[in-house]
Amino acid sequence: MTVDQAKTYVLARAGERGVDAEVVGQQGRELTARAHAGRIEQLTQAVRGGLGVRVIVSGRTGYAYTEELSATALDWMLDEAVENAALQQSSDGFLPAASALGRTDLVGERLKAPLEAKVAAALGFEGTLREDKRVKQVMIAAYTEREGEVAVGSTRGADGAFRRGVAGIGGSVVMQEGDSLKQGWDMKWVTTLQDLDPGRTALDFTERTGRLLGAQPLKTGRYSAYFEPKPFIHLLSFFWLMWSGKMVMEGKSRLAGRIGERIAAEGVTLVDDPTIPGGLGSVPFDFEGTPARPLILVENGVLRSFLHNSETARALKTESTGHALRPYKGILDVAPTNLALRPGEGVSMQEGVLVTEVVGVHAGADPVSGEFSVQGLGLWVEDGKVSHPVENFAVAGDFLTLLNDVTGLGDTIEWEFGMMGGAFGAPLVAVASLSFAGT
Amino acid sequence: MLDESLVRDIIAQSRAAGADFAELYVERLKRRSIRVLNGEAKEATSGLEYGAGIRLFYGTEIAYGYTNDLTSEGLHELTATLTAARGQIGQVDVKGRGGVDFRKAAARGLHDPEIRFETHPKQYRLERLREADAAARVAPEIRQVDASLLEREQETLVANSEGAWVKDRRIRTRLNVNAVAQDGPELQTGIAWEGLSVGLELFDHYAPTALGREAGEQAMRNLRAKPAPAGTMPVVIGNAFGGVIFHEAVGHLLETTFVAKKASVLSDRLGEQVAGGAVTYIDDGTEPHAWGSSEFDDEGTPTERTVLIESGVLKSYMVDRWGAMRTGYRPTGSGRRQDYTFAPTSRMRNTFIAAGPKSVEQLFEGIAFGLYAKAFRGGQVKPGSGEYNFGVQEAYVIRHGRIEEPVRGAMLLGKGPDTLKRVVAVAGDLALGAGMCGSLSGSIPAAVGQPHVLVSELVVGGKTDADHARQYVGGQTS
Repeated sequence: MTVDQAKTYVLARAGERGVDAEVVGQQGRELTARAHAGRIEQLTQAVRGGLGVRVIVSGRTGYAYTEELSATALDWMLDEAVENAALQQSSDGFLPAASALGRTDLVGERLKAPLEAKVAAALGFEGTLREDKRVKQVMIAAYTEREGEVAVGSTRGADGAFRRGVAGIGGSVVMQEGDSLKQGWDMKWVTTLQDLDPGRTALDFTERTGRLLGAQPLKTGRYSAYFEPKPFIHLLSFFWLMWSGKMVMEGKSRLAGRIGERIAAEGVTLVDDPTIPGGLGSVPFDFEGTPARPLILVENGVLRSFLHNSETARALKTESTGHALRPYKGILDVAPTNLALRPGEGVSMQEGVLVTEVVGVHAGADPVSGEFSVQGLGLWVEDGKVSHPVENFAVAGDFLTLLNDVTGLGDTIEWEFGMMGGAFGAPLVAVASLSFAGT
Repeated sequence: MLDESLVRDIIAQSRAAGADFAELYVERLKRRSIRVLNGEAKEATSGLEYGAGIRLFYGTEIAYGYTNDLTSEGLHELTATLTAARGQIGQVDVKGRGGVDFRKAAARGLHDPEIRFETHPKQYRLERLREADAAARVAPEIRQVDASLLEREQETLVANSEGAWVKDRRIRTRLNVNAVAQDGPELQTGIAWEGLSVGLELFDHYAPTALGREAGEQAMRNLRAKPAPAGTMPVVIGNAFGGVIFHEAVGHLLETTFVAKKASVLSDRLGEQVAGGAVTYIDDGTEPHAWGSSEFDDEGTPTERTVLIESGVLKSYMVDRWGAMRTGYRPTGSGRRQDYTFAPTSRMRNTFIAAGPKSVEQLFEGIAFGLYAKAFRGGQVKPGSGEYNFGVQEAYVIRHGRIEEPVRGAMLLGKGPDTLKRVVAVAGDLALGAGMCGSLSGSIPAAVGQPHVLVSELVVGGKTDADHARQYVGGQTS
């Protein structure tokens, strides 16, 4: 069966059994060209699809999924989901009522180009990287694109699909100057091929990595911190969970119960906007079929909202904000789409550490406690200008304290593509003071 | 899993279109998970993953493709796409046309579970998870307990143009407990987990109540703990999952994925003294029922026990097929991948520091001020510069050789080759811990391990304004 046929089949079988069901069907395509030493070392082309179901049986919720789309496998999936639902004691589960949403194609011809052109982009990127004499090795240089369709259907009326896609260029490079070695990882993502500029991305990449060569140890102390957009986004891509309705519902967010309170400095405004044209995380509706719309999470330092799906919204006595996430293998969750810290009026740096990268955030940031201690790389700033690169240090703090101590924001924002299909944006963020551990 | 003649046809089609080597990987995975939140079954799911990956070599260049469409048409179409992209259609390799005779091999069941999934109803799991939940509630401040069980049964087939036809079966079970302690606006977490290549006998190896208590007590300690000190100091690293330090500081640096491109600071160093003489580092894919074990790797090569570093001297890298072609090193059965959507690369299996001669107590002697890092989160490394880090979840201050007050976790970091040389003492209490390792070929189960070890200097990423930190800055060093 095709994913579409499978979706229809499962909803029909659920209907026959008197089970409320919601089906997410996904099918996607991947193309990756990896260049090395002027040749394509690996070319990956693939198609993938699957179907996931959420059922409600007497108010109890169960899940299952399959990538095998035979009638046998689909029947197994529905049986397992019903059996899984029976494990639940509480009977307050429900499927949201939804409606016909049509098909939205966010990709169109945006990623269309001959394979040769895409391969050439990888080769061009790799070639430009190697032109820099400080480049010791290009570990990875790749062009990659992913596009796919998400279809949602339920016995409660949800019916719609959208197609989205991104392309990116980037990889990893090792640079050397004397005894000093630095390795950079970077990926530039776009939704329209015309916005890719392999040569320029390569130059940006070697500039960002190369400026760290010859780094000196940093003396342990409290300093002002200036986060470039990338490292700030890296922290935000973990700490957004403090705004997750699911974390709030489960008692795992320090922001629970604080709507309307000041939680950040005056200049801090955090917005999730799924409607940005050409946005990396833009969607017409979420995985429950709730139409997407812009949402202010923090407005001038005041907490305004959390991100909700139907379940977290009901638990917290509010409305879904259209942020349900449930890829076919997953269970119901919430996720941002295009989540960004609004830019400010610009930052004039005095003295402190310009943090250019944070590493190990998955191991060093705890969205429940709000605390972080992560490896940093950066540049020492003195008398208002960059003095020298610094290394082998950790930067530690508390994310909410950090937001309170924001003293300035850059006037432009950069975007990064996150792991779950959402995008994060931020300007340069100046923070009054943080702990730096070094020598 | 797939008809032999279809596999033979796909390989012939690839070879006829100019590939030097063709490999088909087929995977069928059943996955089940249950999550219990505050004693209530919250999310239960079951999944069936099914797909194939086709990898073609042209010299050391690779064409890779994957699909869930395992029909004859689906696989032939994918093969045609892969070969067409090489632009070499019509370049017929005569050797490839006659097909291959497969030499069949299958797992002997070395890691097979004693208690299979079907033995107990799902309700049984729910009861075990509730035991973990109850045990985690060591104090009224424990507000949330999250316990989950993940079971995976993976069947794989690797067939290639050299005649390999290898079937393997990997069954893995993992239990996680996460506790949240709250005091006013403050929340702190405790985490405990274990995983093995076993079935439901995991509960016999690790009692859910023990893991629950560990998570609960850790959350409480973190709630009462001061921030960790900041700066460079001696660190005693706990056993079992403490091995994550060497996984990051040296393990990844020994994978041919990086070594072949000289993108590792340990490339071309075989036979050299790269670590202190106290360090012997082993990657063992054969340890019965260990989390990262399997009988064959994901390229169909039997796994083995590979001594990487012996008494500080670099003895071997971890080598996959591509790495062997590029470097000439002997393959070590280290080709691994998350699933059919990734081409395999050289990866770790169960990697650990061998037991040393010291007692755990001896490691602490003579430390005027330092950190005892007891429980851990993950870590990360940049193989090209050797800069690595790992997160500590539970830690204590060491003063004058004594373990004193608990401090909240902090990141530990350094440069791998420097850290290796600063391993000054290794105790005898070797144990393994289960982790998920992410790299080029995706996220795979990999165990890390070690006895307690003493590193003479590491950067501890704590807070500079902690009381004990001032005391430290005040001039006490070992």
